Amino acid sequence: MAKNVFQDPEKTLYPKLPKIEDIDPKDRGMVKTKLQVFTADDPIGPKLSYNPINREDQDPWKDFREIMRIEWNMEITYRHSLGKYSKFFIELENKKFFATECPKCGFVWAIPRPVCPDCLEICKWKELPGTGTLVSFSVSEFVPGFMDVETPYVLAMVKMDGADSLFTHQLRNWGTERTKIKTGMPVKVVYTKEPVIHPMLLMWYEPA
Amino acid sequence: MSDRRVFVLGGGISKMAAERPDGNIRDWVVEAAMEAVKDAGVEIADIEHATTSYFSDHFDKQLKQGAIFHDCIGMCPKPNVRVEGGGGTGGLAIRNAYAYIKAGLCDSMIVYGSENMGRHVPSDVAQQFIALASDTDWEVQVAGFYIAYYALMMLSHMEKYGTKEEQFALASVKNHRNAMYNEYAQSPMKITVDDVMNSPLITSPYKILDNCLLSDGASCLIFATEEWAKTHSTSWYRKPRIELVGTGSGTDYMRLADRPFPYPGITHFRAKKFASEQAYKMAGIKNPAKELDCFEVHDAYSGVELVSCEDLRLCGYGQSGKLYEEGYFDIGGEIPINTSGGLIGMGHPVGATGINQGIEVLTQLREEAHPQRQVKLTNGQGGMDSHGGTGTYVAVNIFRRVD
Ligand SMILES: [Zn+2]
Repeated sequence: MAKNVFQDPEKTLYPKLPKIEDIDPKDRGMVKTKLQVFTADDPIGPKLSYNPINREDQDPWKDFREIMRIEWNMEITYRHSLGKYSKFFIELENKKFFATECPKCGFVWAIPRPVCPDCLEICKWKELPGTGTLVSFSVSEFVPGFMDVETPYVLAMVKMDGADSLFTHQLRNWGTERTKIKTGMPVKVVYTKEPVIHPMLLMWYEPA
Repeated sequence: MSDRRVFVLGGGISKMAAERPDGNIRDWVVEAAMEAVKDAGVEIADIEHATTSYFSDHFDKQLKQGAIFHDCIGMCPKPNVRVEGGGGTGGLAIRNAYAYIKAGLCDSMIVYGSENMGRHVPSDVAQQFIALASDTDWEVQVAGFYIAYYALMMLSHMEKYGTKEEQFALASVKNHRNAMYNEYAQSPMKITVDDVMNSPLITSPYKILDNCLLSDGASCLIFATEEWAKTHSTSWYRKPRIELVGTGSGTDYMRLADRPFPYPGITHFRAKKFASEQAYKMAGIKNPAKELDCFEVHDAYSGVELVSCEDLRLCGYGQSGKLYEEGYFDIGGEIPINTSGGLIGMGHPVGATGINQGIEVLTQLREEAHPQRQVKLTNGQGGMDSHGGTGTYVAVNIFRRVD
C-alpha cells in the first residue's frame, strides 16, 4: 500500500480537526436530537496567518465559538417519469436496443432524443443491432457507495453500430486483466436475467 | 454596448476548510462580505444590488438561500438575483455583475458565493448530491460519477497526444505548493510527483491527490462603475484600479457521449474555447499566454487543468503535458496557473470557487499576494475560467489593472 501523504506531517500543513464526540443520548437534555456541543477554533488562527492586516484582532469571533449540532433526518421518494424517452426503456425489457434518428439531418442519437437538438425536429425510433466499438473507458477502484457497483468498475463510452453519437454504460465480464480492455475493441449489449431497480440497468456492455 | 466601465473594488474570503464547524454557510458569507466591504472601502448601505452564487439546494437543505445571505448582510430591500451553473456558478455570477452594471440596472453590485459541501451529510450522500449534477436518467443510473467521466476524457487525451500521468501529477504538485502561500487555502502541501503517483488510486489515471476538494467556505466581490466608486469607495484613490474588461460564456451537451467529433469529442472542452474567445476578443487579447500575467483555471482534477490550458489557448493542443514539465505554468513561468492553489490546493466550495478565482486575479493584479506566489506584472492582465459539469457551463472573465 502506498504511503498516504495525508498522514505525513512534513507534507501537510493544514490544521487537523479536533475529534468531536457525539453526546450520549441520556445526556442530551431537552433536545433529543442534540449531537454535539463544542468550542470551535479560529479556522485561520495566528499561526497560519501571514497577513496581519486581515488578522488585526486575533479572534474577532471569540464570543461566537460555542457550537451546537443536531441530527436532522429526511427521506425522499420520487415518482419519476421517463417521459418521451420511455420507449427506449420499455424495449430494453424486450432485449431490444433503440436509438432515435432525425428526419431532417439524418443524425442517429444513440442516447435517444425525442427531438434532434441540432434541428428541433421530432425524431423517429430506430432499432440498432446492439453492437459497437469501445471509444474510451475508465477503471474505478472506488465508486460512491450509493451506486451499489462492484469495483473495479469500468465506465465505457461506445460508438454503437448504426449510431452517430456515443452511448455510456458499464463494461462487465471483461476478465481479470485490465490491460485486455482496449479502445477500439468490439463490444455488445447484454441484457440482465435478474430484476433491477432502474430500467437503465436492464443492459450493460461486454466484450463481443 | 454602453460605454460604462465595470471595476472590481474589493474582495473577501472566508477560510476554506474540509469542515468549518465554527459556523454555517450564512456565517461564512457574512465573513466574506465583511472583508470585501472593508477591502473595497465601501458601506454596505450604499451597494445597490446583489448576486447570489451557490450550486446546490441539497447540501444545506435550504432552497432560495440567496434571500438569507442577502438579509444577513443588510441588503434588504434592494434587488438580488441567483445565478447557478454547477462549478461555473461563481464565474457566471461575476459575468452577471458585468451585465447588470453595464446595462445600467445598477451602478454597484455585491456578488457572494458559498457552498456547504456536505459535512452535514455522510460523504456518500455528498457524492450522491454531486452525481445529481450529471444526467440522472442516463448517466447516474449506470454509475457515472465525475471522476470516472474525467478519467475517460484523460485516457482519450493520453491516447491522442501521448500525455503522461506524471504530467497530470505536476499540476497537483504545483497547486498544492501555491496553496502554501495562501492563508485561506484548505490544502497547502509540499509534495512531489511521486507522492501523487503513490497516493491511492481512485479511477485510473486519477489518484486521490489529483482531485479537488470538498470545501466549506465563502467568498465575495464588489463591482461598480468608476463614477460610483469615486463617491462611495475610500479605496478607489488608494489601491490599484482593476477593471473587468472581458467576459465570455459557453456551454456544451450535458452528456459527453453526445458531443460532436472530432472536436471536442470526449477529449476537449468546446465550451471553454467558445467562452475564452469571446472574452479575449472583448478584452482585445490576441495571444493570451503572452498578454496575460496569471490565470486561474478550473482544476477540478489535475488533468482538467492541462486540457483547459489547451482550450483556453494558453498553449497548443496536446502540448500541455510537456509544458508542465518545463515549468511553463509555474510562478515565474510564461503564464502562471492557479497561483491561489486552485480547486486542488485552495478548495472547491462550488458556489464560491469562481469568486475565489476572481479574488486571486484581483490580488495578483494589485500585487498584494504573498511574495512567494506573487507573479511579475508585465501587462497587468489576468484571467479566470470557471466550469460546471464536464465543461457543460463555462464562464471566462478577464481583469486588467488600469493605473
Ligand atoms: Zn437533426
